[in-house]
Amino acid sequence: MVVHAVLLIAIPLLSAFLIPLIRKISKWFTISILTLNSIFSILVLFEVYNKGMIYEIIAFSPPVGIYLAIDNLSALLALIINVFGAINFVSTLKEKSFKFHMLYLLAIAGSTGIVITGDIFNMFVFFEITAVASYALVASKKSEKAVEGAIKYMILGSLGSTFILMGIALIYSQMKSLNIYDIANRISMMNENIKWISFAFLLTGIGVEAELFPLNGWVPDVYEGASSGIASLLSFGPSKAAIYAIARLLIVIFPSMHTYEIALWIGVATLLMGEIAAFMQTDAKRMLAYSSIGQMGLILIAFSLVSQGIRYSIPASFFLIVSHASAKSSLFLLSHKNKMGSALTKYGGITAVLSLIGMPPLAGFWGKWYLFLGAASEKLWLVIILIFFSGIIEAAYFARYLHRSIGEEKMEASYAYPMAVLSTFSLAFGLLPFIYKMANMHLLGGV
Amino acid sequence: MLDIIIAELLLAILITFFVGKKLAAIIAFFISLLPLVALLDWASMYGFKFISFGIEKSMNIAISGITLHLAITPLSWFFGIMIFSLFPAIMLFSYSFYDKNDGFYPFMLLALFSSFGILLARDMLTLFLFWEMMSWSSFILIYRNKDKEATIIYLVFSTLSAFLIIFGILLLYSQNNSLLFSEINLTPNLETVVAIISMISGFAVKAALMPLHVWAPVVYSKSDEPFVAFLAGGLSKLGYYGMFLFMFSLPGAKIMEEYFSHISPNYILAVIGALSAFIATIIAFMQDDIRKLLAYSSIGQLGYIAVGLGIGSQLAITGALFQAFNHAFFKAVLFLAAGAVAYRTGKWKISELGGVAYKMPITFTIALLSIFTLAAIPITSGFAAKWLLYEAAIKAKYIFVAPIMLIAGVGAFLYSFRILYGVFLGGNNHPDIKEAPKSMLAAMFVLVLPMIIFVIFPGYALDMMSRALSDAGIASIPHTVFTIKTSLASYNAIAVLITLIAALIPAFLIYKSKPHRIVDFKDNYLAGEIPSKYENISMHAAHNFYKPVEDVMKPYFEPGTIEYYKGIYKGLAILSNTLRKVYTGFTQDYAIYVAIFLLTVMGWLIWL
Amino acid sequence: MVIDLIIKIAILTGYAIAGTAIGLLFMGIGRKIVARVHNRVGPPFYQNFIDVAKLLSKKTNISHGWIFDLALLFSISGILLTLLFLPIGGVKLLSMDGDAFLVLYLLAIPSLGFALGAGASGNPNAGIGVMRALVMLLSYELPFVITLIALMIYYDTTSIAGIVESQHSQWAIFIPPFLLASAVADMALQGMLMEQPFDIPIAPHEIASGPMVEFGGKYLGSLMIYKAISIVVETTFFVDLFFGGGVIAHGKFSGIVNFISWLVLIFIFFTLALLINTAFPRFRIEQAFKFYWKYETILATISLIWVYWMVIT
Repeated sequence: MVVHAVLLIAIPLLSAFLIPLIRKISKWFTISILTLNSIFSILVLFEVYNKGMIYEIIAFSPPVGIYLAIDNLSALLALIINVFGAINFVSTLKEKSFKFHMLYLLAIAGSTGIVITGDIFNMFVFFEITAVASYALVASKKSEKAVEGAIKYMILGSLGSTFILMGIALIYSQMKSLNIYDIANRISMMNENIKWISFAFLLTGIGVEAELFPLNGWVPDVYEGASSGIASLLSFGPSKAAIYAIARLLIVIFPSMHTYEIALWIGVATLLMGEIAAFMQTDAKRMLAYSSIGQMGLILIAFSLVSQGIRYSIPASFFLIVSHASAKSSLFLLSHKNKMGSALTKYGGITAVLSLIGMPPLAGFWGKWYLFLGAASEKLWLVIILIFFSGIIEAAYFARYLHRSIGEEKMEASYAYPMAVLSTFSLAFGLLPFIYKMANMHLLGGV
Repeated sequence: MLDIIIAELLLAILITFFVGKKLAAIIAFFISLLPLVALLDWASMYGFKFISFGIEKSMNIAISGITLHLAITPLSWFFGIMIFSLFPAIMLFSYSFYDKNDGFYPFMLLALFSSFGILLARDMLTLFLFWEMMSWSSFILIYRNKDKEATIIYLVFSTLSAFLIIFGILLLYSQNNSLLFSEINLTPNLETVVAIISMISGFAVKAALMPLHVWAPVVYSKSDEPFVAFLAGGLSKLGYYGMFLFMFSLPGAKIMEEYFSHISPNYILAVIGALSAFIATIIAFMQDDIRKLLAYSSIGQLGYIAVGLGIGSQLAITGALFQAFNHAFFKAVLFLAAGAVAYRTGKWKISELGGVAYKMPITFTIALLSIFTLAAIPITSGFAAKWLLYEAAIKAKYIFVAPIMLIAGVGAFLYSFRILYGVFLGGNNHPDIKEAPKSMLAAMFVLVLPMIIFVIFPGYALDMMSRALSDAGIASIPHTVFTIKTSLASYNAIAVLITLIAALIPAFLIYKSKPHRIVDFKDNYLAGEIPSKYENISMHAAHNFYKPVEDVMKPYFEPGTIEYYKGIYKGLAILSNTLRKVYTGFTQDYAIYVAIFLLTVMGWLIWL
Repeated sequence: MVIDLIIKIAILTGYAIAGTAIGLLFMGIGRKIVARVHNRVGPPFYQNFIDVAKLLSKKTNISHGWIFDLALLFSISGILLTLLFLPIGGVKLLSMDGDAFLVLYLLAIPSLGFALGAGASGNPNAGIGVMRALVMLLSYELPFVITLIALMIYYDTTSIAGIVESQHSQWAIFIPPFLLASAVADMALQGMLMEQPFDIPIAPHEIASGPMVEFGGKYLGSLMIYKAISIVVETTFFVDLFFGGGVIAHGKFSGIVNFISWLVLIFIFFTLALLINTAFPRFRIEQAFKFYWKYETILATISLIWVYWMVIT
């Protein structure tokens, strides 16, 4: 193995704490660290692509250690978080404060940690790192709205963290283990009721971060208040990591018809709620925030189809995550000015919207296509019709949004270029052949 | 060869993004000839031999895991001929229409590319993929014009259409476990029938069939003419291609008839088609905006095709295909002619135009020919098509459909004359304009050619169609080059033509018997002199042209269909505004939600 | 072969000339009848021949350009064409090469040429007149096509020759639903002939004769010929549909007998139209429209449903 996957977490984490020492060059330092990390994440992705699942144990002394389990989805998410993080950083170049850079690196490190760790307690730790960094990043804009959003985020986030911890404690009390795969193998030995209670705690706790309905009260305020760059970071970083954590919970630890069913209907509720709320929203950032909620619901639906439609469920979520991460982060950057003046921003904005609506050959199309095939193989016609319904609403408000974004005003290059590049990801992922293979690898803990 | 054509198309799409307007138009023109070349090459399977490059008739593009199956069939060949003939003409027309390259050519080529894909698709994923690509490329062409209503309504209806189609695809897929057309077996059960109906309604959106047509008038009247010529001429045909594919190439129509013992959806489709033809025609002649008039006229004319498909007999389908073929050309020409007139005068309102015929005689003549075809004046191919449909309706004893269709045909005279009189004749409001640029004239002329050819030889068109029909296992109706025979009657185009020419002789003798003097517009009998004060008064009586009948009819057509959709929109808005209140903005509330959620999940799981 | 063709052409030419002559004669007789109803003396019955000859030999002819000339060319040729596609007195002429739909649409050719010329004249009255004519067309066609479809379904053919042939034993008028239908169709005929109360398009007192306001000399003369032939065409269409084309005799001399019976029948219906004309004032256009689309259509629909019921049982 060329690169130790653990470096993906270790480098940004350690450099984040180095930053206070080198305040003067913190910006360039951060850029180089992000670039390095992006390269590592690409290498890891290829590693997974070629060899399949990666397990890695960095043991200090047996109970204390880091256990990593990287499947195709987590490799992809690590790539998204790191590469997008690096690209997105361009839009925040104006920030001079070293604290900001430190927090940015922490958020990246934490989100990456959530997706590649194979240990639920580590997962909790990374959740905490991500969450704390995000609260501060949101508040870094120093406007009234930003602070309000950050406080709401913090309160709900802490509540969520508590629940996660409680869930972990319950599991640990029964299983005496924190390794996800270890737990998964012996889950049948667990007391039925405690199993469900711990699942509920974990789902609720992670659900706050994953923007599930009705745990997502903080979402509109935070996205509205945060600066465009941070809103973009939140949309591809922590929220994607959290939805993936739910997927692990659902598919690896607690695979059962009931949990799938619950996830399905929570997904449907989140989807409908998000899209319907976005429908009449006039503020662009809030609208995008609600739309994000809807998309998270869609991703959760994709994960919940895993029992019958396993052939389609993983590719569906794979493409939906790519599409949503790239398109939504791009649109949040666009929301800085909300006018598509130059050709570059036009390209970025339109590509992003088309991918979200699900137009071929963009990633969003494949996501919805596999999602529908999966739902059809489970014969969930009602769910399909509800997705159609929300899709039509989505088309309506995005068309309105596109029309509103017509204008001659040009955005700064530091926003225009990242957003165009970010949008390109949904195009590239929809077109590149190896992505299909990647999407069709059914790893996720050997499901 | 086919892969080279596809690659060249894609390359041209990229290039035309970056080059100047003239170069882009030239590249687009030549590239848009490619599919036509391919079709001519494939014509060998029709027994014609034009050129022979040996382009392969089928191809599978495999992208690890997903295979796109492409192949040409007689049916798609027939639809291809009518759709791809439009593109070079449109590109030619745009050469002088646009003064800068702002995205028209690349997206038009993309629309061409995806139409090519739709017609060649042999599995449902390919069909749907290209269908969606066409949806969004045309969406961007509409979006270019910065009209809010058109942008929203087109995207919403495209999405609706896509979802209806994919719903059908999913139902068929879950039955057959295959996406290939060749592996789909339709059996008369509920799911199949729902799939077929859903798919038909999905395609009906693009085919602008009532009541799913509301996007068409808005979009047609708010977009550039060259593009609308494609929308009306080409895109709507793709909608009918899809219907045809699932109703006759796959025996969907038969399945529906088997499943429903009394009134089958086929009959309902015929009724909807007839009503669509009738209502749209009535609304069309009340329009003052020429683009809206043509849009409603399009909806009406396309309704006939749906009638044909609904009746589903050999006569009816032939008539439907024939009507589709004619409509592709005459409607494209009419939109281009409207574009040419607007290019010179800058006006759309019929009541503000007038007298254009004298300054743009060639445009007028071309428009007149297409209007003859549109109004189905005998010996034009338009008549042959509608005649077949009427015969089919009588033969099937559809006593509701037949009179409605016929009266819609009469209504077509009304709006045809509104165009002729309001735009081209009447008062001379535009003394200073010139004839349309040569490239526009050439484009329109090319498109009017098939109409002239099939005037005398309806048999040739039927020959072409008989192969397309054989694909669906439908025999061709008996015909020679000049005559068409049905069990009810026969139609002899050449007899009509010769008699008309013969009858023109006495008329011509009278015309030549005495010399005449040509006078000015204003030199006419107006029951008195025009007072000098009103010297510049407009003598164009095209304002509120059909006022009397409008007064009677309008109450029955109000509120328009679009109002119902707006009602749904408003309902959703209320729902949205109500549901949004869940997000109160108070963190306490959110904390309570978290608690409720936790307890609900816990309770649900433990209770189960 | 060639001789057959020549004979055919001669017959067709003969019928064309006869149709024109009969039409002009009818117009003259019509003027006489109207005059008598009005208690006037009226012009001689051959007055219209004189009028046409006079108009065609006028030296001053004013045209408004080539589109205006289309009126002259297409009105005469179109109506002659239509005449030859109708069976007259049991003689099929060209009616095997087309059917009732073709005739319906052929009737549009002269009107369209006429309308083009009127539009090209630039006189607002002409435009209004054509608009009225087209609205009238839309009005009376609805009940008319419904009755037509009733006939087609009953006789299972769309060809007029076929319908005429099927009526050899019994005229359609003697079948109860078609009695009703013929009443409807007769009112449609009134509109087609543009006689009062449906002379809205040409209303001389309102819009100065409407479409033909700018026509004079040879143009007006040709329009008069057009009008004459169209009287024959329209009444013949009606007689063909409901009275078996006037066919009463088979065998020897049947040609002449049928021709005379056809002539009598079309004269009767023309006179009927004239009598209604003299007795009624003019409708407004929306009144006419409502009349046709409401009462007439309801009656026509009843007859259609009746026929449909008869056919399927």
